[in-house]
Parts: sequence; C-alpha cells; structure tokens
Amino acid sequence: MTNKTDVLIVGGGVIGCAAAYYLSKKGVAVTVLEKAQIGEGGSSRNGGGVRQSGRDPRELPLAMYGIEHLWPTLSEELGMDVEYYKKGNLRLAKTEKHLEILQGLTDRAVAKGLGVKMIDANEVKAINPYLSDEVIGASWCPTDGHANPMLTTLAYYRKARELGAKFITGETVKTIKKVKGQARLLTTDFAEYEANTIIVAAGFESNDILGSVGLHVPMNRVLLEALVTEAQPKMFEQMLGTAEADFYGHQSTHGSFVFGGSSGIDAYTSDYDTPITQGMTAPSICRGIMGYFPDLADAKIVRTWAGWIDECADHIPVISKVDEVPGLIVACGFSGHGFGISPTVGTLLAEMAMDEPLTLDLSELRYDRFKAKI
Amino acid sequence: MKRYELIVIGAGPAGLSAAIEAARAGMQTIVFDENAKPGGQLFKQIHKFFGSKEHKAKIRGYDIGDDLLREAEALGVKVVLNATVVGIYEGKEITVMIGDGITHYKGDAVIVATGASENMVTFPGWTLPGVIGAGAAQTMMNLHGIKPGHRVLMLGTGNVGLVVSYQLLQAGCEVVCLVDAAKRVGGYGVHASKVTRTGVPFYLGHTIKAIEGDGKVEKVTIAALDDTWAFIEGSDMTFEVDTVCLAVGLSPMSQLTKTAGCDMMANVPVTNGYGETSVPGIYAAGDVSGIEEASSAMIEGRIAGADAAYQAGYLTEVAFKTIVEANEASLDQLRQGMFGPDERGKVQTTTDEGIALSTTLLEKGYLAENEIGYFPGVETRQKGIYPVIECTQNIPCNPCQDACVKGCISIGDKITSLPVVGENIDCTGCGLCVASCSGQSIFLIEEKAEENIAYVSMPYEFLPLPERGDRGLALNRSGEVVCETEIIKLRSSKAMDKTNILTIKVPLDMAMKARFFKPLTEGGAKNA
Amino acid sequence: MHKRLDRSIDLGPYVAGPDDDMIICRCEEITKGEIRKAVHEGMFTTTEIRRFLRTGMGLCQGQTCGNLVRRIVATELGVSVGEIEYAVARAPFRPIAMKTLANEVEEG
Repeated sequence: MTNKTDVLIVGGGVIGCAAAYYLSKKGVAVTVLEKAQIGEGGSSRNGGGVRQSGRDPRELPLAMYGIEHLWPTLSEELGMDVEYYKKGNLRLAKTEKHLEILQGLTDRAVAKGLGVKMIDANEVKAINPYLSDEVIGASWCPTDGHANPMLTTLAYYRKARELGAKFITGETVKTIKKVKGQARLLTTDFAEYEANTIIVAAGFESNDILGSVGLHVPMNRVLLEALVTEAQPKMFEQMLGTAEADFYGHQSTHGSFVFGGSSGIDAYTSDYDTPITQGMTAPSICRGIMGYFPDLADAKIVRTWAGWIDECADHIPVISKVDEVPGLIVACGFSGHGFGISPTVGTLLAEMAMDEPLTLDLSELRYDRFKAKI
Repeated sequence: MKRYELIVIGAGPAGLSAAIEAARAGMQTIVFDENAKPGGQLFKQIHKFFGSKEHKAKIRGYDIGDDLLREAEALGVKVVLNATVVGIYEGKEITVMIGDGITHYKGDAVIVATGASENMVTFPGWTLPGVIGAGAAQTMMNLHGIKPGHRVLMLGTGNVGLVVSYQLLQAGCEVVCLVDAAKRVGGYGVHASKVTRTGVPFYLGHTIKAIEGDGKVEKVTIAALDDTWAFIEGSDMTFEVDTVCLAVGLSPMSQLTKTAGCDMMANVPVTNGYGETSVPGIYAAGDVSGIEEASSAMIEGRIAGADAAYQAGYLTEVAFKTIVEANEASLDQLRQGMFGPDERGKVQTTTDEGIALSTTLLEKGYLAENEIGYFPGVETRQKGIYPVIECTQNIPCNPCQDACVKGCISIGDKITSLPVVGENIDCTGCGLCVASCSGQSIFLIEEKAEENIAYVSMPYEFLPLPERGDRGLALNRSGEVVCETEIIKLRSSKAMDKTNILTIKVPLDMAMKARFFKPLTEGGAKNA
Repeated sequence: MHKRLDRSIDLGPYVAGPDDDMIICRCEEITKGEIRKAVHEGMFTTTEIRRFLRTGMGLCQGQTCGNLVRRIVATELGVSVGEIEYAVARAPFRPIAMKTLANEVEEG
C-alpha cells in the first residue's frame, strides 16, 4: 500500500517544518517523515542566531531577505511567540588581530549591501554596558538578532499541522526510488510513500538517503556544544559573538543565557549515535564567556548539550533541485547557520517544489557546484 | 586528570559497601558524595533494621552507616564529601564539583550508587509551602534536628510513610492521620502498629482531595475513593494541619547512567547479575538500580564491588564466585516473605503457616484483639512472666530468636517464619527480646490474678522518658484509651540500644489490650 | 529509539478540565492545562512538550515534574504512561556557577 501525496519532506527539523508550512499555506498536500521527533537535530540545539553579518556572500541574500520580510511578522503569522529580537549583533574583539578579522568580514558584507560597521570600545560599551573593559572594539550589525530555535521549529510544525500537513515521527526513510525517470517513491522502515516532489532536508543523514539515487553532498559531521544558565535579570538583547567564534549567544526571553561554543578539539570526538558533550568543553566556553562578561561569573549553568553541524565542504548549504533526479530537491549542509535563514529557505523550497519563480536566486547553492581545486 | 581503578559515586549503603568490597580485594578506590555527611539514607534511619544478623538486624541505620564508614576508611578508601559529580563523559570520565572548582577524574570502573528521589502527586494546593516529601521530613528531623511542622498528615502507607510517621511522633509532631488510596497498608504491619497504638488513625481507600491555605498549608481535605478512583460523595474529612508529607514512592536518580549511554528500562539502568550496566565498566547498585531498601543496597554494592575487583584482576574467579554466592544468598533471604518482589501485586490471605492474615491490620493498621490468639507468638499463660509476640506477617527478620538466652523464642532457618513462643518456657522477664524487636511488637505480660492486675511491659522510644510512678493512660492497639495506669518500672540499658522497656500496671482483663502508654501531662506536649 | 507516531491522529476537541490551572512544573510554573493543550497542538513527546513549554527546564531539570508530565501526556493521547518516553538527562546534574565550572582544578 503506497501513501500518495503532493510533496514528501524527509526531515522534521526547522527546514522541513518551515517548508511544510509554506507549502500547506499554498494548499499543497504535504507529508513530513521524521525518524526521531520534531526538531531533534540542530534545530533544537543551536544558539538561536538570526544574523546577516559573518555570512558567506552567497548565502547573505537569504539572511537579509528573511530579516526584512519574514522574521518581523513570523510570530504573528504562526500564532505563537518565537521570541524574535532584532536588536543587533555585536561581534567582539579584544586584540588587534580580532579587529582585523572583523574588518575583513565587515568589508565583505558592506560590499553586498549589508548595514554593518566597525565600532570602538566606547560605542560597544554604550550598546552593551555589561561587557568587560578588555573589549577594544566590535563589528556591529543593528539589524541582526536572535530567536528561540525550539519554539520556531515547533511553531512551524504546529501551524503546518493545523493547516493539514501530515507529520509522522519515529519512521526512518531508507531509499528514494525513481519511477520512469522521476523521483517519486520513498521507502521507510514502515511503508512506502509516493509524491510528485521529494524534499530531503535531513541534515547530515541526508546522504544516507541520497545515496540511493547516486548522490552525495560533501559534508562532515562536526560537534559543537552549548550551555544554558538559570534565569538572570534582564541584561541585554543583542546577539553576541566573538572574532574568533569561541562563543556566541544571547539572553532569552525567559532570562536564561544560551551560549554555544567549542573546545577546539570537538571535531575529533568519537562517533556516537547521539551527539554527546565532552568534559573539557563547557569549562572552556565558560572561561571564554567570563572573559567578556565578568558579571555572569555567578550565573548557574543548568544544562549543557551537544549537537552536530552538517558542515558542507564550502560552508554553505545545498538548496537545489537535482537535474538528473527530477522531482528531488535537496536542502542540507547548513553548516551551523541554517536557523537564521530557515523562514527564507522554507519559502524558497515551497516555491521550488511548486515550480514557481524563486524569490531569490539560488544558483550559487546548487548541488553540483563542488569542483576540484585544479 | 587523575585516574582511579574504581570510582564510586554516592557514599550511601550501596556505594560504601561497594567501595569496601573492592578495596578489601586491593582496588584503588575513591568515593564521591554530594552531601556533607556520608551514609546516604542510613543516617536518616533511626529505627532498628530487620533481616538477620548478617543483614545488621536490630542495629539502627545510623550505626550501620558509622560502621560502613569506619570499615571503608580502614581499608584506605578515599571518601570525598561535598563533592558533586556534575557530569559523566566518554571513557568513564567524570567531573566533580568540589568547593569553587571542578576536577576531572577517570575510572577504570565506575559504580553509580546515587540512590533515588521522591515522587510527587498533584492535587489542588500541592505547591503550597508545607507540602514536603516524607524523605525530606526525615532529613530535616534526623540530620538537621528540625521539626518539619507541628500537625502533619501523611500520604502513603508504604514503609517510608509508616516509618517517617513514627519518627514525626518521636520528634514531637502531631500526626493527624495516615492516608492511602490503596485498600491495604503497603508496608509492614509492625511499622503500622507502632503508629496506630499511639492513637493515629489510618484511612485506607482515601486520598487527598485538596490542600488549602493562605500562602502555606493550613488545612487538608481527604475523601474516600470508589472502585473507579472517583471521590465518593459526602466522604470528605478536613484536618487542620501545617504540613502534608508525601510518601508516594521513589524513583531512581539515574541521570548518570542515562547520560553515560547505559541501556535503560523505564528509568532504571539495565544490569546483569553483578550490577554491570550495558556499558562495560559502569555499574549501578542500590536504589538507583531499582527501589528496595538499605539492606539490599548494601548487598548489591558488595556484589558490584566484587565484580569490579574481579574484572580488574584483584580476585580470582573462585574468590569472586564465593563472595557473589554468599551475597546472593543473603539478598535472596531479604527478598522472601510477604513483601518480597515475587509477591508484589498478589493479594495474600494467609501466612506461610496457613494462618489467616489480619485484615484489620491490613486495612486499619492494627491487629484486632480477636485475631491475635491464632499466632504462634501469642501463648497466653496464667503463671509468671512471658513474652507475647504480636508479629503476624512473614517478613525476613529474626533478632528476637537470638535475643533470648533461655530459648523461649524460635524462628528457625527460614527467617521469614513467624516467631514461636514455646509452651514450657523459662522466661526471666529480662526484656531483651522486647528491645531486640525492630518492629516493636514484643510485650511482656505478668499476670497477678490474686491481685486482679497485670503488668504489661512494652518498648518505648519517646522523649522525655517518663519515670517510675508517673500516671497515664493505657491505649490499646488502635489507640483507644482502655484504662488509667501507672508506671511500675522503666528499664534502659546499653544493650537495649535506646529501646526502653516500660512496665505499666493495669487491671487483669487489660493484659491483652493495653499496648501503649500516654502520659497525663497538662500541656499535652509529650516530648522535649 | 523513537516510537512511530502519526501526528494526524484525531485527539478530539480540547475539553477544558476542572484542574487545568494546577501547576505541574513548579520551577517554571507550567499548568496542567498548558500541557494538555500542547498535546492537542501536536506535541506528543516529553521532549517536545519540554521545548514547547519549558517543563523540566528549570533548576530541578524535571526531577519533580517528569513523571507528572508523562502521565498527563499519556492521558491526553489515550495511551499508557509507559508509552511516553522519559526525559533525557544532561550534565551538569546539579546547577553549577559559571566561575566554578570554569575553574578546572587538578586533584589536590
């Protein structure tokens, strides 16, 4: 017995749920197949950044579009608060070298039309008085911000479900099958499904499925960790990062601080079925944070966790139809910065699946862009 | 990072026992405990334990705790207190928060003995200050010397609810009643009897409907339940209390084993017969691996410690097997009887000996007078002094047998057998049996028919101790006043380990009725 | 391993209960009604409820409310409580100040 629908989506993370929502909004019949539970992967583990600064120029337009057109009204549209703040992003510097790195990022972004600039220590302190005196400058992007990734993912899911999208969790997609040249069938560990269009948005595990139609996205799975404190009195609303990306984070609506970071060795951890934390990482992140925020020294940490980044070879995602597998759309390899562009990506995937003209040009994110160096 | 051959997490009965066994075999062992005092639940247990001598029967929990600690230290085990294990990582690495920093350790083997935490039930008002777990009340009283409240209602009649209710009385609290949704008392009948004879009623088949109060517990309403668990109209009873204790079960604190990737069955790590989880070298022992009691925890700890030592090459296979067999036999003994795991869920009607179980005991918490005569511990006499053992359920316990040098009491090899008071006994009235009975269910009767009086001697563990000549009231098993009385004798001795033998004078026909003494004090306060 | 759950099953309309305003997660002050409504909005697992409502994210990290939440979710879904997964546990197992966690000390 084959279950038929218009669009099948593999992966119940923020990308899959957003796509399901935008498709359902168009009246398209959608079924989402998720092997674990909604938002189990990076979608619930990331630091919540909604930013344009620091992005690859090929990806930047997606971020800018989302912040201008989608994020500001997302809570209203989805009928629940996704805790979106558009209060800016400070990327902090303590040394001259940091300033150089930030200047480079800033110049690239300005060239692409982004309103980001370098500011000095006094200006930094004026924006965020809690920062250590050791901060000598920062890049400042006033239109960047953050949101709650768990709530955003579940909000998309909830609304899509309300509009009729079918979600099945605990079912693992195994293979894609072509029927007369078109990718039409999915087999899972439970049943078979058929659709006109299949979107694979399954993070690193996308390759497990794409292999069945001879495809492979060059990705590595890289571990990152995060931690969260108990609620603190309201301090600031900007998104924060550092020049060397040793930690990044924000204060949530709840009052708790969420910070992500790494020990530097995380990429070389043992391979487990679930991402697990390392003993050395959280202490390192804490030292990093305290170096910029001495006030947080007494804040109690209540939880740490780890997540995997599906790090693509050139650090930006594949969001693309596949010419030789018509009917298949791939959306994975978000390399640790998929959350901020998820509303845009969801919108584009819905357009792509329905063969509508795309709001943004995605030619630089094609599946076949990976070339040898010589 | 420092590596130890064995890291034990939790210095309670399971943890210390594991450390002792492993260290005895030669393993380099360290134990971490987040508390300021070691011993886990043991230091809160001020009552005498059950079982047999090898299970430390008739010894009070805190003494067992002290013994274990001394034994561990004598074997060179390092016990680090105020040391909270905050994380467990691959390679059996742990991070321990000590003071204002953390230290990383690695163990060749890790034994998780973190115990359990208390369950909650909800009803309107359950979040009001004054609603606390029974274990929390016990910690307050026995570790910190603080009364949890003045007037207390206890929800739950398992052993925790029963034991803590008695301890609340000992601490000077008023216990208004015990309540349980179940139709029968969940814990030992003897634990219930200790409470009911002081005048505390039990309401089985009831539960809490609501708690009310302005910012704190002020009153609680209970009601009876029908077979569909719905409240029965018109059965409400309201009590003015300031504290409600919840004794509704425990759940393993198994976060460490979960995080370490051990296979779990519900919230319990799956272990093999030696306490090893699915992750080689990680063990779970004690309540964390399934709720039982301190006695079983100690044995599980020893088995796990022995296995760790064996796997590390410190024990030969023969030596290891010997230790395991002895401990398994011991554990098996504890798991026999009416309350053993195999009997769970069954509705028993008779003892192993074929005697009808007292339904009053099960449904109200006290023996009815007309039920007692059937039990082998009750052999009423005309001449001289003799013990009356009101122990009517098969539980693993036998210290009374060893207590009597005259051989008046026998239980036999099967320690769950009911104690038998022989027919032609030579009782001297020394009272050692009374003091040795962890269930406080042994009384001495001396009938003086010619004077139409009887002397009843009972175990007494309340302060302030009354004195010879004090007048008071005699209560029967259900806590009703049966007559006025006077204290004839009060005996205390080191051998009796804080169980005082109180002898009262009652009319002859009260000999099988009078079972508790309530002083006649003006203010009503019983205790210092 | 995650059980297969079809999120399209019809749970019927949400019917308000007399004790919907009872607090279940004390640390984050989440009520029974909020949990029940969340199930109707598609949150079928302990983890989804946690991410959606913050139950179990407070200081005790679900040690108090964990089983209470599971029971409510099970009742709302019409399944036995054993079908609802237990919450995941994470380090640190007790709250720890940032400066303490940052202070790595060798064994003395």
